[in-house]
Amino acid sequence: MTLRRRLVDWCFAGLLVLLPALVLKASLARGTPSGLDTALLRITAPLEAGVSWVVEGIGGVWNRYVALVGVESENRELRDDNDKLRKQLAATTRKAFDVEALEDLAVVKRRTPADTLGARVIGAPLSPQFKVLRIRIDRGDRDVAPGMPVISGTGPVGRVDKVYGDYADVTLMSDVSSSIEVLIPRTGGRGMLTGLGRPDSYACTIGWLEKQINPTAKVEVGDEIVTSGLGASFPPGLVVGKISKVSRDDGMFQRVEVEPSVDVSRVRAVEVLLAPPPPPDPDAKTKKRSEPAFGGRPL
Amino acid sequence: MRTATIVLVAYFSCVILGSVWRLIPWIHDAVPDLGALTAAYLGLTARRNIAPAVGGSVMLGYLVDLISGAPPGLIALVLGLTCVIARAVQQRISAFVALVAGILAMFVRGIYHVPSAAITLELRHLAVVVVATGVIGPIVWRIFRRIDAAYARTHRERDAALEGLAP
Repeated sequence: MTLRRRLVDWCFAGLLVLLPALVLKASLARGTPSGLDTALLRITAPLEAGVSWVVEGIGGVWNRYVALVGVESENRELRDDNDKLRKQLAATTRKAFDVEALEDLAVVKRRTPADTLGARVIGAPLSPQFKVLRIRIDRGDRDVAPGMPVISGTGPVGRVDKVYGDYADVTLMSDVSSSIEVLIPRTGGRGMLTGLGRPDSYACTIGWLEKQINPTAKVEVGDEIVTSGLGASFPPGLVVGKISKVSRDDGMFQRVEVEPSVDVSRVRAVEVLLAPPPPPDPDAKTKKRSEPAFGGRPL
Repeated sequence: MRTATIVLVAYFSCVILGSVWRLIPWIHDAVPDLGALTAAYLGLTARRNIAPAVGGSVMLGYLVDLISGAPPGLIALVLGLTCVIARAVQQRISAFVALVAGILAMFVRGIYHVPSAAITLELRHLAVVVVATGVIGPIVWRIFRRIDAAYARTHRERDAALEGLAP
């Protein structure tokens, strides 16, 4: 190879090196791909896309079907963890629910001017229509006695009925044998709330609702009903429920249905009022009524 | 024809490598510099004329520029210079080739004010690329020698190509 040809070769090589330098300078000055770049990219792009598709397909098959070593044991561990966490969540939820109920009871206990005893609901037999028939509490004959009023954070629940051993059954307010003296703050009307004993609801009724303050005032659906404090059982002012239906009005008395404020199916803890109900008075027909344990005296 | 074949094989390898390498976990940054290996091989094995080897290197660099998103001409210039340097120094260590190409790339980016990462990151990247190229280099060059052998005109050239002796 002659010196001249060698020089030409090196010059040509130098020019070939200079070319990309100029292209680089031009592309940096322009900032966008040139026509040649775009054309080449259009030609090479399908090739790159095809290769990527094949490689990613193989990689996907590998990851999804082949490289599954340890997945089964990992899955088992995750299932176990999931079960544990679900149990923890259920326990925590239950505790939170209990705490909420106990907080409500603490408020009730502070507001109630009587000795009370907290009790936990441990059972609630249901009717065929899934209505709670009565509740069972964890206080027995050493703590409570039949007839003692039972209240929850949202209102009266009922009375202690049977006591055996360490447990006691509570007859609900909606039971036909239950009766509570109530008053409607808006009209001043008084009456006796009794349960309707319906198998599918907790509705109660007031058979003879007096028009005490204003004889022309009529109760309406939605009126709030509270305990009057008479009858020596429940303290006055406990919200019992709201009137859901006015079924009769004969001028002096009204008959209404009441939807209790307490959702018995959700009650988890209650307070038992320890003040005993007044003993039956043998001279009730000849004497005046005995003084109530709670509330104001009747005029 | 031989140079064109090597450039095409190198280009396909770069495309495949770009797709495969990111799927491998823990070595994302350690991409072997196939372009530098090819340019160095072309420079080392150029027969009489260096111009076709430089042309092939520049062409490959330009294609790599397009698929890598680098400014067109950057890698082409680097590979062209790598080819010339490999021809000049006749050094057959693949890691050295990657080191030269990496330093050249930093140098060219500096001259043309192409935005780049912090110097520590650049050096760390260069180190892993040098290692990866050092590992992959012999395999790539063996493939190129096979191509050379296929294009050999005589048995002697073929044997020399397979043994890795420059023509």
